Amino acid sequence: MSDRPEFHLLPIVYDELRRIAARYIGGERPGQTLQATALVNEAFLQMSAEKTRQFQNRAHFVAIAALSMRQILVQRARARNAAKRRPGGERVPFDENVLSVPHPNGRANDIDLEALDDALSRLAEFDPEQARIVELRYFGGLTIEETAEAVGVSPATIKRQWVMARAWLKLQMESA
Amino acid sequence: MNAGTWARAKALFEQAMELPASERRAWLDRAGADADIAALVQTLIESTDTLDGFLESPPLVQPEDIAADDGWLRPGARIGDYSIVRKIAEGGMGVVYLARETSLGGRDVALKALPPATSADPVLRARLKLEAEAMGKINHPAVATVYAFKEIDGQIFIASEYVDGRSLRELIKEGPLPQERAVELALEIADALNEAHAAGVVHRDLKPDNVLLTKRGGVKVVDFGIARVISHGGPDLTVPGYAIGTPAYMAPEQFLGGPVDARADLYSLGVVLTEMLTGRRRSEDGVPSLPARIAPIVRRCLQHDPAARFASAATFREALLTQRKGESRDRWWWRFHQAATIVAYALLLMPAWLVRRAVSGPTIGGLAGRWLFVVVLAAGIVAITLRLHLLFVSRAGARAVEQQRRLSASSLRAADLAFAAGLVVSGLFVENLQAPLAVLLIGAGAAAGVSALVIEPATLRAAFDEETTVEGSTSR
Repeated sequence: MSDRPEFHLLPIVYDELRRIAARYIGGERPGQTLQATALVNEAFLQMSAEKTRQFQNRAHFVAIAALSMRQILVQRARARNAAKRRPGGERVPFDENVLSVPHPNGRANDIDLEALDDALSRLAEFDPEQARIVELRYFGGLTIEETAEAVGVSPATIKRQWVMARAWLKLQMESA
Repeated sequence: MNAGTWARAKALFEQAMELPASERRAWLDRAGADADIAALVQTLIESTDTLDGFLESPPLVQPEDIAADDGWLRPGARIGDYSIVRKIAEGGMGVVYLARETSLGGRDVALKALPPATSADPVLRARLKLEAEAMGKINHPAVATVYAFKEIDGQIFIASEYVDGRSLRELIKEGPLPQERAVELALEIADALNEAHAAGVVHRDLKPDNVLLTKRGGVKVVDFGIARVISHGGPDLTVPGYAIGTPAYMAPEQFLGGPVDARADLYSLGVVLTEMLTGRRRSEDGVPSLPARIAPIVRRCLQHDPAARFASAATFREALLTQRKGESRDRWWWRFHQAATIVAYALLLMPAWLVRRAVSGPTIGGLAGRWLFVVVLAAGIVAITLRLHLLFVSRAGARAVEQQRRLSASSLRAADLAFAAGLVVSGLFVENLQAPLAVLLIGAGAAAGVSALVIEPATLRAAFDEETTVEGSTSR
């Protein structure tokens, strides 16, 4: 991409968002493309609502896309959790979706995004860089190398920080 | 937790993790850190043992998190005259459905609309309308025909000819195209561009994804989504903050937001041609090497300065056609030379046979002539057979010849030289009686040698030119 500040390539933004969303959905089951598309549309709307925002390079863009995706997913998770907590609210006696959805890679994915978001926000208070690494890796789907490029440090540093941040986040989420 | 505590914990954690797991605890005790920091680091280290893929797999989107009505048209949906069959393409500038026109005997149409997220965006709406206008101006078999531009329930649509085929992108993914095919496609694309340019339309987003290959082997240039109608004088919908196009295929002046004309499309076509021939674009690391004859044409397309490129798609076509003509002429010469050599070798076996008894060499009792003839015969047969083989594979194209030639080059050269030497030696030792034959043999042998060493490599190089590297005028 050019380093001209107004460089903001609409189709590329869209394709990049699709790449990230496709990762969340995984697999090839029917209906999933639609889910990815809906997510992309929402993130796209959110991002293009701020038309003044200018991307310096791809890493910068992915960072912002990852943030958008994080906000959307967490907001959804909060709404869902709130509905469950409300007495007499939506009755979900046994939420099989949340408890044990088989993940595309075979592992049950039971991460409470609301709790993760809270923990991540706390981490950002005393180590913004580690929080950003988690955001890029987990929500943005970047590899260690890509994250290193985006953050501007060596892949080895990213690897160490990534382990430490996860160790801390896991402790936080378990004690929550 | 404060940042200072965390920073100290981080330093300890990183050092501890460098050690084998069993030594970390003891090392931490010796490190002399504050008790609470040491405890934190210890807990973190223990936590790493139970990470077990934690956060390594992406977040899973819950089905209930996705709004049921996302604005996409589902198969079976009815939009005015059209019944949606399925979505066939999607991008930031639009979504394309395959639809059936119910009123006109159910013909298939490609229905292009804006993605739901942007369907109300006035700039994108104006651009879609402009696309319909641009396409409508072009009447060419290699450009999809526009049937209608309609607004239905607040959404706008372009209905156009549906092309049942795959994109050039998919074809290139399977590997580089044979030169003949790549040139053929480039000629067709150039023809379509020429027609578009004549109608005052610049495509501005030419790339392999936007070139469809019909089942009959023809080409359709599609997606005039960011085309500019020059004669329009109207708005060029490149709003700041919405620079458009695909960088890898974009001419520098377009990339920099300058004025763009037909020559920008020729730049893109140069990139596409490179990619067809090599499977790679020039902007990727390293510069792909191209057939020597095509390299200057591509180089001219890729000039930074539009004035240094071809002036029009028509002149580009002419250059490519001239190239193709020159190449077929050179191939004819190569074939002619091969055939002539085969015939000459076969004919020369006759005098070699005739003189075999007259050769008196420094060997035992007249055997020299016979052995010499055996050498000439064997070498001649090998050389003839290999040449027939090369002639045969040359029908499959330059690449096949190159491959086979590499395999057989040393045997062919050895056979040629043995044949030539055999003839010359026979000639030298012929008794005086046979003087004319001796002169013939010596002359023919020398000619065969010169032909094999000098003439043949030259015709071969001209016919199946060796690869060369395109030096881009500038790189970005």
